[in-house]
Amino acid sequence: MSGKTKTEIVICAAVCLAILLVPVFMNDSFLLNKYARYLVLGMLAIALSLSWGYAGILNLGQATTFGLGSYCMAMALKLKTIPIHTGPDGLPDFMVWNNVPELPWFWKPFYSTTFGVTAGIVIPLLFAALLGWFMFRGRVTGVYAAITTLAAMVVVQLVIIDQQAYTGGFNGITDLAQFDVAGFAFDAYGSASYYLVAICLTASLFLALAVTKSKAGLIVQAIRDQEDRVRFFGYDVALYKIFIFSVSGAIAGLAGMLYTIVMEFASPTFMGVPLSLSVVIWVAVGGRQSLVGAMLGALIVAGMQGALSESETFLDSWTLVMGLLFVLVVLFLPKGIAGAVETITARFERRDPAPAQQPQRTDAAGAGTHHLESLP
Amino acid sequence: MDIIVSQLMTGLSIASILMLVALGLAVIYGVTGVINLAHGEFVMLGAYAAWALQTEFGMGLLASLVPIFIIMAAVGWLVEVLVISRLYDRLLDTILATWGIGVMAQQAVRLAAGGELRYVQMPEPLSKSVTILGATDSAYRLFILFVALALFAVTWVIYRHTNFGLKLRAITQNRAVASSYGINASRIYRLTFAYGAGLAGLAGALVSPLKSVSPEMGTNYVVDAFMVVVLGGTQSLMGTLASSGILGELSGYLAFYSNDTIAKALVLLAIVVLIRFRPQGLFTARVRT
Repeated sequence: MSGKTKTEIVICAAVCLAILLVPVFMNDSFLLNKYARYLVLGMLAIALSLSWGYAGILNLGQATTFGLGSYCMAMALKLKTIPIHTGPDGLPDFMVWNNVPELPWFWKPFYSTTFGVTAGIVIPLLFAALLGWFMFRGRVTGVYAAITTLAAMVVVQLVIIDQQAYTGGFNGITDLAQFDVAGFAFDAYGSASYYLVAICLTASLFLALAVTKSKAGLIVQAIRDQEDRVRFFGYDVALYKIFIFSVSGAIAGLAGMLYTIVMEFASPTFMGVPLSLSVVIWVAVGGRQSLVGAMLGALIVAGMQGALSESETFLDSWTLVMGLLFVLVVLFLPKGIAGAVETITARFERRDPAPAQQPQRTDAAGAGTHHLESLP
Repeated sequence: MDIIVSQLMTGLSIASILMLVALGLAVIYGVTGVINLAHGEFVMLGAYAAWALQTEFGMGLLASLVPIFIIMAAVGWLVEVLVISRLYDRLLDTILATWGIGVMAQQAVRLAAGGELRYVQMPEPLSKSVTILGATDSAYRLFILFVALALFAVTWVIYRHTNFGLKLRAITQNRAVASSYGINASRIYRLTFAYGAGLAGLAGALVSPLKSVSPEMGTNYVVDAFMVVVLGGTQSLMGTLASSGILGELSGYLAFYSNDTIAKALVLLAIVVLIRFRPQGLFTARVRT
């Protein structure tokens, strides 16, 4: 294991530990719920970092898989409310309003929470795999892949909004039961939900880290840098891309399920363009090629937005500042804050062991690597 | 008979608006390869410029078209100099940067003019309706159709028959070789971007009497316009013309037979399939490189 990998593991572990310790020092249930929400968004950022930062697939529809996970959980939790928020035959209330005679077949398995939780990961994973197969087998790359993911997301969202009788339409699925495991209920405002989210976040972060360090993860990064060369080496480029895209979709699906638990509803806005593009901003600011950087980017930016959204005037100018910040990051920090930190520490490390070295030499070495990177 | 004609005219009207918006995008994307997600906001700014000129200075819509083109071209020029010109070697990042610019433009307008809907007066002589083959249609919609075709013709002439257009085509084919023959590529890119932004501004001003003007209005246009460009093929102006016609008629008919939402979903789905199987667009023989 290289020293760099060790440092990365230590940083990830430290960040996760800090996140897990928050409820020890704070007992405000409203704040805990808010922080749990940001952590979920952090997971979404990890998912995007995997596909965008490591595989070079700019997924402008990352919220699709997030929303699918969220709806799976909401369907399971809605059916658990029987008989409170339901009609005469245990039919969810919005179906009664839409004159649906009986529970549609695809709702029935969601009586089982286990099925709901499994579906919340498997359905987003399959969706991502299918979309990935469709795109990457046809060698759709770059801008075209970005637009395809965006368009696919809008299609899914439009269908969900249109099929109001089965999905709750614009309103989404509301009035849900609490998520519970073997009789233990997770109150959205309790520390248990916070821990649930924090543990899932830790697991996703380390899973993602393991994937990027695996052989498949390295090949994926090689594809990002020089797709044709990897193809000429005989690797099945599309297969690796589908793999990373599916892992990213599964993590986003898990995040979506947790989002339903802490928000207590599912809404079509969870798979909307604004959320999807926000994730892109968070990841870009935090650093797309660093999982923990992307996650912290989400926590910081979404957290700041949440803190400022309490006052109307601040929120308005905040959006303006946010746009400007984003443009500046894209222009001057293409690897985000994490990339900037890396550059700075690398410079220090290179100087420390040999202080007598000429500074020009360091510069030349830097220019050399840059030149290699920028080869077509 | 008149229902067919009226359907046809509805489709043509949608098509002409699509084409107005897409033309600027097609010019920018075709020449520079930049995906300008701020294009919708350029359209929105054009519409607000029409509104401001009308309410503040009492200018009619027709009289304000030329100033709006100049203002928006200046805005585009500025955006190119400040942001886009630094990103030509990272084209995927232009999506992000232009989207950030779009967010800023939307918010700036919201702060300056308020978030409420604004209305622009239709020019007096064009507010009547006319009858074609038994179907009635608003004169203003026909006017838009003619303006769209005229702007297309102007762009076509610039592209095919001027010195500027010749340089433009040379750069599109091979920037390095064109530059070594003394063509100032950065200047051409800058002018192209300004021209595209100016066209977007005109589009916004022209649709402003038909639809209410709001800071968010651009978002829908940019998606539709991008679809037109992808369908038409990025290198082909004729493709843009044909594909806005097809998409306009298609969404007109689909909306007539099903509902708007499903019509939109079907059009998007068609685009996704098209990108997969014919990424060079329907109307180009040349293959994307």
